[in-house]
Amino acid sequence: MNSLKRVFLLALFLPLAALAQTVSGVVTEAETGQPLPGVNVIISGTSTGTTTDFDGNYSINATNGSTLVFSYLGYATQEIPYTGQSTLNITLIEDNTSLEAVVLIGYGSTQQEDITGAVEQVDSEEFNKGTIVSPGDLIAGKSAGVEVVKGSGDPAAGPRIRIRAGSTLSAIQDPLYVVDGIPLDQVNANLNTVNPNDIETFTILKDASATAIYGSRASNGVILITTKKGRRNQPLTVEYGMNFSVSRLFDRVDVLDANQFRALAVEQGVDQSLLGDSNTNWQDEIYQAGTGVIHNLTVAKGWENNSLRVNANLTNQNGVLKTSGYRRHGLNLTYTHRLFDNALRATITSQNANENVFQANQGAIGAATVFDPTQSVNGTPGQFGGFFEFVDQNGNLIPTAPKNPLGLLEQFDSRTDNDQTRNNLNLVFDLPWVDGLSLNSNTGFDYNEYEGYTTIPAQAASNFFSGGFDSRVSGFRRNVLIDVFGNYKKALENAKLDLDFTAGHSFQKFTRLDRNTFTNNQGDFVTPAINPVINENALESYYGRAIVDYNDLLVLNLSARYDGSSRFAEDNRWGFFPAASVAVKLDQVVGAGEGTLSSLKFRAGVGQTGQQEIGPSYGFLGLYTPGGPQAQVQFGQDFVTTIRPEGFDSELKWEETTQYNVGVDYGMFNNRLKGSIDAYYRETEDLLAFIPVAAGSNLENFLTTNAGSTESRGIEFGLNYALFQNDDDGFNWDLGANVTFSEIEITNLTLGDDPNFEIAQGGIAGGVGNTIQTWAVGFDPTTYNTFVQAYDTEGAPIEGVYVDVNGDNVINDEDRVKRRKATPDAFVGLTSNMNYKNWDMSFTFRGAFGHYNYNNIESNTGYTGALFNTPGPYYANGSTSVLENGFNNAQLFSDIYVQKADYVKLDNISLGYLFPGDRIDLRASVSAQNVFVITGYDGLDPEIPGGIDNNLYPIPRIFTFGLNFNFK
Amino acid sequence: MNKLNSNLMYNALRTIGLMLIGALVLVSCESELDLEPRDGRLTADAVFNDPTAYRANLAKIYGGLSLSGQQGPAGNPDLAGLDEGFSNYHRLYFKMQELTTDHAVIAWNDGTIQDLHAQVWTSGNEFIRTMYDRIFYQVALCNEFLRQTEADKLAERGVDATLAAEIDTYRAEARFMRALSYWHAMDLFGNVPFVTDADPIGAFLPEQIERGDLFTYVESELLDIMDDMSAPRAGEYGRADRAAAWMVLAKLYLNAEVYTGTDRSADVLTYTNNIIGAGYSIPDVPYTFGFLADNNSNGAQEEFIFTLNYDGLNSQNFGGMTFMLHAPVGGDMDPAAFGINGGWFGLRTTSALVERFPNEENSDDGRALFFTQNQTKEINDIATFNDGFAITKFRNVDVNGNQGSDTTGDFPDTDFPMFRLADAYLMHAEAELRSTGLTGASVDRINELRERAYGDDSGDIQMGDVDLQFILDERSRELYWENHRRTDLIRFGQFTTNGVWPFKGGVPAGTTTPAFRNLMPLPATDLGVNPNLSQNTGY
Repeated sequence: MNSLKRVFLLALFLPLAALAQTVSGVVTEAETGQPLPGVNVIISGTSTGTTTDFDGNYSINATNGSTLVFSYLGYATQEIPYTGQSTLNITLIEDNTSLEAVVLIGYGSTQQEDITGAVEQVDSEEFNKGTIVSPGDLIAGKSAGVEVVKGSGDPAAGPRIRIRAGSTLSAIQDPLYVVDGIPLDQVNANLNTVNPNDIETFTILKDASATAIYGSRASNGVILITTKKGRRNQPLTVEYGMNFSVSRLFDRVDVLDANQFRALAVEQGVDQSLLGDSNTNWQDEIYQAGTGVIHNLTVAKGWENNSLRVNANLTNQNGVLKTSGYRRHGLNLTYTHRLFDNALRATITSQNANENVFQANQGAIGAATVFDPTQSVNGTPGQFGGFFEFVDQNGNLIPTAPKNPLGLLEQFDSRTDNDQTRNNLNLVFDLPWVDGLSLNSNTGFDYNEYEGYTTIPAQAASNFFSGGFDSRVSGFRRNVLIDVFGNYKKALENAKLDLDFTAGHSFQKFTRLDRNTFTNNQGDFVTPAINPVINENALESYYGRAIVDYNDLLVLNLSARYDGSSRFAEDNRWGFFPAASVAVKLDQVVGAGEGTLSSLKFRAGVGQTGQQEIGPSYGFLGLYTPGGPQAQVQFGQDFVTTIRPEGFDSELKWEETTQYNVGVDYGMFNNRLKGSIDAYYRETEDLLAFIPVAAGSNLENFLTTNAGSTESRGIEFGLNYALFQNDDDGFNWDLGANVTFSEIEITNLTLGDDPNFEIAQGGIAGGVGNTIQTWAVGFDPTTYNTFVQAYDTEGAPIEGVYVDVNGDNVINDEDRVKRRKATPDAFVGLTSNMNYKNWDMSFTFRGAFGHYNYNNIESNTGYTGALFNTPGPYYANGSTSVLENGFNNAQLFSDIYVQKADYVKLDNISLGYLFPGDRIDLRASVSAQNVFVITGYDGLDPEIPGGIDNNLYPIPRIFTFGLNFNFK
Repeated sequence: MNKLNSNLMYNALRTIGLMLIGALVLVSCESELDLEPRDGRLTADAVFNDPTAYRANLAKIYGGLSLSGQQGPAGNPDLAGLDEGFSNYHRLYFKMQELTTDHAVIAWNDGTIQDLHAQVWTSGNEFIRTMYDRIFYQVALCNEFLRQTEADKLAERGVDATLAAEIDTYRAEARFMRALSYWHAMDLFGNVPFVTDADPIGAFLPEQIERGDLFTYVESELLDIMDDMSAPRAGEYGRADRAAAWMVLAKLYLNAEVYTGTDRSADVLTYTNNIIGAGYSIPDVPYTFGFLADNNSNGAQEEFIFTLNYDGLNSQNFGGMTFMLHAPVGGDMDPAAFGINGGWFGLRTTSALVERFPNEENSDDGRALFFTQNQTKEINDIATFNDGFAITKFRNVDVNGNQGSDTTGDFPDTDFPMFRLADAYLMHAEAELRSTGLTGASVDRINELRERAYGDDSGDIQMGDVDLQFILDERSRELYWENHRRTDLIRFGQFTTNGVWPFKGGVPAGTTTPAFRNLMPLPATDLGVNPNLSQNTGY
């Protein structure tokens, strides 16, 4: 094979050999002394050039006075004036800044300076530190326009990520994740199966001109995740990292303690005999200190023609809610093989994870806030598993009473196991017969299988009447991708044009199968009428892009995608999503001078994207669903299993978003300060929304259909400042800040023109069917719809008295007012990275402003009726707000519960020290997450996705101690 | 230079290159985009390959009144926008017909539920909206069934003659069910969207029909299907027969003055006569037997003209009789006596119903089924279950006190008699009073009901006792919580501008309300979605 390559190389170099004055030499890497193959060697100002062979050798003809330029991706370029030497050995120095300058843009990459859209890359050095189970937590607070909100303290739950949130109403709002070239199933991305430790970069495509090449899945933004890979000729590296964490809750929901509860019972004159004589803090009973460990072992090695990286990892976290936990074993492998002298590069990426999710009965969280604190944990031995439960005068369990919170946890065994394998074969082939033409193919297979059960014993009060409960679930998800694109790069030097064309074709198919069986009231296993449920979707796409760079001054980027989706009928199936953007690079203009401004670029773009990720897979087809065995209809003595025709919209089509973006990127003080400002305006039409349909016109009363439109706009500021840079004492300090202002408004909701048309949203606890938010034209989709509380002269709320807004002397739902919303007006992130000699220290602050939460715990439990006017001979606990407002009945729709939720959080802080050694480098670190919150909000945590605060799994504070060994 | 190697290499490169280029441009996968479900869900043509599918689809239409979704007791609901249990037809109809009257109050905080008894509802009321949605869902189900069973469709699918004949009856029943729901729509909402099997699905906005025109349509439908319905009491228990159609016709005519301004009492007499002569009887069992778990077999069924069938094991949901059994139980009531595992502490009645019985809660009238222990007759706080007497009419135990088939005590077996002979007797007497004058036969029939209630003739009345107000009160005593009250009060002019009962109008003593509330508002959502509609006056 070697001789083959030599022959081939020789053939390539033959034409050059005819010229005079040959210079040759070896190019090596400065740090390791290893030869560097594939280094570009060109004579400056000409088209003459070559590359080094696998031993780092090159040979080129040059004339006296010309300049030899040696460049290699990831290394600092060297320029050597040629003075007639016959041998010239060069060492190249690794240059991280030049590596970072290459940014993925979807189906290719470009230089940072050539970016024309709103694109931000977050590298591993900038990631949040500590106990990170889900990849999204790595980038919380790191990028303007990107909200990463943890909605739950459950260790298995990932954060909610929103990029320029809110273009759609009912379709999925998660961004599209593309992991090493495979777009994940948006319905089931399960990012947790990507090991956070293996991630090299997140590239966030925010505006439509950047995302439109992903067409129908791009409206929510795109996140490209690149995992770490072995490098060519990399010496053997072995790394082992472990961290140990303790999670604790330092706060509790404010409910009455046993003494307060007794005092209130006396004050209210209720039957004291129903009270117990214990003092139980139920929240203390259900929470624990959660411990966790994360291990990562990574081995990487590169050779001449191949490189390998293997990572084995283990994550094991116990939740702060007793019985909850998450465990993951992972084995990830990337292998790159270079063939035909690096003309063909094949990379196999295989990410494998086995997850065990231990689900706790989260009903215990609410139960702990309402369970009578005067009762004891333990009851009659042998009854209800030994837990105290409320019984009536005949000793029978009261079904409507709260159940013992600890009993709910301990008598609930639930676990889901998931095996995931994500494999991709990436081929990049530089076509030998056309210079600058390469082909790139991805063949991906993303598959997971899950199996789970829930078992509740017969004695458990929660399922006492049916003698326990048992259920089994299983199924799989499959995502198959075939994707090929070609790329052609050409420099037209006379016209001062650099051209870069990409065209591709892809097909992706998603299959989801779910099985479910459970016991009925008689303890017999039954299965739903459709079992398994199988949903399949397919997408076929053609896409292309042209980038034209004129004289390093003007960059024009045009892209388009033509997508066909199986979710729509043939006539509406195909959608076309174009985009155009332009950048004016004034670096040379401003950078040449000595002024404070060192680089400057203006960007502008417009693009159209689509959305097809709606609930139903076959929403355009009329289907019949069989009924289950418990929903039969009795004709005489015969029980008949029914069939139900389902509603459909045969006209269902793409949701279309048009987004305009303008931006400026600038650098100051020799680029020590770098900033970006982006402003966008977005219109979404033919919204896929789950809305009421005209009565009688369909076989549903609500349907996912195209209706309405929204408008949103925002402005984003990002700033990075190298405050100190390798000053004499070795001190570095990088500070990053981002600020986002955004707003969204519904501009149309129906075919009609009724200005009062609204669709209720935001279900709350406390009465079935109650909603607190509404969709209405002119408002944010999370706008609250409440009564205006009336107050007495002392400023105390008057129970049941609201402002008669429409003045008709009747207080009914026409007096509810739409104001305040759950969406922040602004959110900010502040990141600091410092190092001093062997010390490093980093922290991240996050904040959000201008939004409100609905305190559903106060509204649902903070009145005496909830405590003492109970459906049965027992009492219930509730929010301490009852002591302040003294309400006797529920005032669920009072705006007194819509509470300002501005906050600033110290999300993450970490301190590390590196012990350098001859054979082993050791870094030891301590970090804390969710350190403190500054807020005026009364509830446990002001950061509530969607705004309705009701018994969420609280987010703990996590302390982590970490050790990283680097074996040399 | 080794030419062979060089060629091999070139060939290899060319092959790879061509393969990639081929994949890039040539191979289209467009046919792969035609996906249909591969699980139990089927397209119409596939599903009706199975001849039993017609009966299964008809069963769904009946289930539309008694159930709430495809899974039972909850899961895969028929309607969205409200909790599945709440969206059950029977439960919603109870809230429209009884909770808005002197018969019932409820303790809960569910949305705008308190606005119903207080008669301050708006077009945004979710219970009114979902009732409307449920009615039109039912209409749409019937329309689709009729489209799928047109003669040419059946011929296309090769349906044999026996099945085709059976399907004729099914079609008549589907049209009956559609007429029943359109009658509810006409009665509750007046002028409503109008869709039939001649309309398509989706992509159109139904036109509004005037109440009077809808009356004509429902009447003509019922008259048209009469011959295809099975003879009274000849079909399966729980399926509508000709007597059920007569009953709806009679109801239509009895209220015709309200619907069209024209009295049709003579027609009421025709159809109630048909019913009275059809072989039903007031059985010689106590009144309470009609509302027990075994009311389909304990004798009470002799009186039933049309029932919603419930079964604790096979027909489960959280509306319907599950609601009627659990919601009225609370306070000191023993759930076991009702065959259930626990009460929901919701429904009670007002003093107006109590006082309609002589001696009130101590009445000799066996229909005065009140629970009074630790309950007050008058209501101070609607949210407190102990305020107001509880009602013990419906039970999930058999005549021997044994609980129904669901051993957990969640779901009852008790069937709901939507139409029964006593109702027809009282309608007949009322129509006589409104037209030809009361007959002795009608007085005897009323006494037949009262003798069942009193256990003897001590409660008998004389012809002179019977006037229209007596009929209204007797209907209240006999039929309370059977979903007739609102319609009756409107027919007698006592629902809004006349007639006062506790908490009517939202004040404890009760007050009158504006006449426009005799009609419910069209839901604001449908007005927003369908510009062809205009709102009822006053809303």
